[in-house]
Amino acid sequence: MSTATILVVDDNSTNLKLVSDVLGFEGYRILQADDAESAQEIIRKTPPDLILMDIALPGMDGLTLTRLLKADETTRHVIVIALTAFAMKGDEAKARLAGCDGYITKPIDTRTLPGAVAGYLRSANTEEIRGKP
Amino acid sequence: MSRALTDVLLDETPDAVVVTAPDGKVSYWNDESERVFGYSSAEAVDQPLDTLIVPPGHQDLYLQFRREALEKGQCTFETTRRRKDGSLVHAVVTNKVIYDKEGRAEFIVTTQKDVTQLKVLRDAKLVESKFRDLLESTPDAIIMANETGRIVLANSQAEALFGYDRGELLGQLVELLLPSRYRGGHVAHRSGYFAQPRTRSMGAGLELYGLRKDETEFPVEISLSPLRTDEGTLVMSAIRDISEQKRAEQKFRGLLESAPDAMVIANHAGDIVLVNAQTEHLFGYPREELLGKKVEILVPERFRGVHPGHRNGFFNEPRARSMGEGLELHGLRRDGSEFPVEISLSPLETEEGTLVSSAIRDITDRRGIERTLQEKNAELERANQAKDRFLASMSHELRTPLNGIIGFAEFLSDGKPGSINDKQKEYLGDILNSGRHLLHLINDMLDLVKVQAGKVELSAERFSLREAIGEVCAGIRPIAETKRIAVKVEIAPGLDFVTLDQQRFKQILYNLLSNALKFTDDGGHVGVEAALHGKESLQLAVSDDGIGIRREDIGRLFTEFEQLETGTARRFGGTGLGLALTRSLVILHGGEIGVESEFGMGSTFRVTLPLIVTGEGA
Repeated sequence: MSTATILVVDDNSTNLKLVSDVLGFEGYRILQADDAESAQEIIRKTPPDLILMDIALPGMDGLTLTRLLKADETTRHVIVIALTAFAMKGDEAKARLAGCDGYITKPIDTRTLPGAVAGYLRSANTEEIRGKP
Repeated sequence: MSRALTDVLLDETPDAVVVTAPDGKVSYWNDESERVFGYSSAEAVDQPLDTLIVPPGHQDLYLQFRREALEKGQCTFETTRRRKDGSLVHAVVTNKVIYDKEGRAEFIVTTQKDVTQLKVLRDAKLVESKFRDLLESTPDAIIMANETGRIVLANSQAEALFGYDRGELLGQLVELLLPSRYRGGHVAHRSGYFAQPRTRSMGAGLELYGLRKDETEFPVEISLSPLRTDEGTLVMSAIRDISEQKRAEQKFRGLLESAPDAMVIANHAGDIVLVNAQTEHLFGYPREELLGKKVEILVPERFRGVHPGHRNGFFNEPRARSMGEGLELHGLRRDGSEFPVEISLSPLETEEGTLVSSAIRDITDRRGIERTLQEKNAELERANQAKDRFLASMSHELRTPLNGIIGFAEFLSDGKPGSINDKQKEYLGDILNSGRHLLHLINDMLDLVKVQAGKVELSAERFSLREAIGEVCAGIRPIAETKRIAVKVEIAPGLDFVTLDQQRFKQILYNLLSNALKFTDDGGHVGVEAALHGKESLQLAVSDDGIGIRREDIGRLFTEFEQLETGTARRFGGTGLGLALTRSLVILHGGEIGVESEFGMGSTFRVTLPLIVTGEGA
């Protein structure tokens, strides 16, 4: 399971590095993007299993990118987990509406993040297995 | 008979003897004439007789009797004559014509006997019999005088009013009853009155005074009416002492003048009856220019049309009220400038009927202050909003790098990237603690700003109070255990499911509990009680036996950054925002928070919350 590919999208380089490194130490293959446009590029070349998507991005925001991915046949299966600093009521609903599969609020907890990510990957796999005839 | 005897006869005769030429010019004027009419011989000779002694209105009679004498040689009649000082006398007059040798009229010799007192007695006799009884029965003092200004009747009320004994006034000039400064003028007025006699009040608008026998004066009101009799016209004066009324008026005027506002009193027709000095000052008119004018003179042109209608409305239902409630009213100065006013009206019952009294206040200054205040308020509001925005964005900006600090410290401290020694682990722990404290502070501040800016909406859900309290207690258990503090929870039976914002409820309880633990010494006791409070509320009480709060400090307790002593913050840590935030959250739920405490003995915080809040918060 630790061979899954994870794309981390965050415009803040420190956060990008922290999330990447925490998950990197768990053995995941990590891809990084600091905006939605470069994320799209990477996804086209190397489709990841899971994306940790910062919602507030310069240019195209994270939710817009999520809607695009979920509308696309080829990327629909990619798990998108929203990352946001605004723990406001309605943000989670907005994220779900845009098609996000999960929601993690910043500040990220380095001790629980790997477990949460593993959980999302596992449940996606289970669904896939169940989905097979 | 010697020449001397003729002179003696002419000089000593009790009659006034005057010789005139046929054209009426005086050629002889004896001593008695001077005594009766006041003109000396030198003054009279060569003057036309009528201009000297015939009062206005008697010219025709004078000419008629002269003609009659010229026709018949002699005629006698009774009439009124005027003295040099303007006063009148009653006289019996005989005109005798002296002819020359050719039988032409050469002179007219006029002898005149002053019968003023006889006339008085005659008039008195006439009116006594006719009017005495009637006039004694009226409450007013009545004085009747004849054309010569002599008193022919005074009722007992008049005698009492002026302080004279019975009969003393008969035959006296009415001027006796006036202060001497008015006497001269009065004689002329009196003659004028007899020329055009009609019922009216005397000296309208003037202040009249009577003079008592003892020389004291008093204010009076006099009405005059003519009385035509066979003996000629008499004038009847009804005199009323208005000392009391004057005193009352003076008191009223004093009141009026001492009022801080401009006072304008008007009658039903809108005529200004009375104004005070403040009115003169405020509107720039001298008093005389306002009295008798329509009040609309003080109203800007554009409101004048509707004003009389409003006035009628007031008189239809006269009661004290403010004018044009909620409208902006303006006054008009004499110079045409306008100013904002506030006017209160009240009815004024007087002998002349209901009047309206208006108290007018210039509110230019107040308007200015109000405007300034509004501007300042708006400015404050803007500044406050700017502060909120600043705090919100600052909180976010501060949190982002802090996430990095905490995240990497945690990551390192957990030894994920590689092993670290104990000292390094300790320092990383310090960094983590500091970072987490800072994060907590920022989070509380952001929360508080959001709540106070009304940006937090409650998300109500039905949950188990029992479970929620249990979860919060589990959260603080590590601290409680470290300080060996027993946390006792009591929930009233039957109280379980509530509909509140669960996250906010937990935040309220967590803040109160962590405060209780913080300010309770090791080994102390902390309790949580939840009970029904009325039918629709619950009360949550968090008590401790900690350091307590001084009475004088309780008021500041729920204010931002008010940890009580500077010392406590250092000793107990915390952000100083917890209670302010807690209170805001409680209020957001429509609840209340209070505290009872005894210094050194502990505190109990009580929160009342509704059992059910609806949807989006207050």
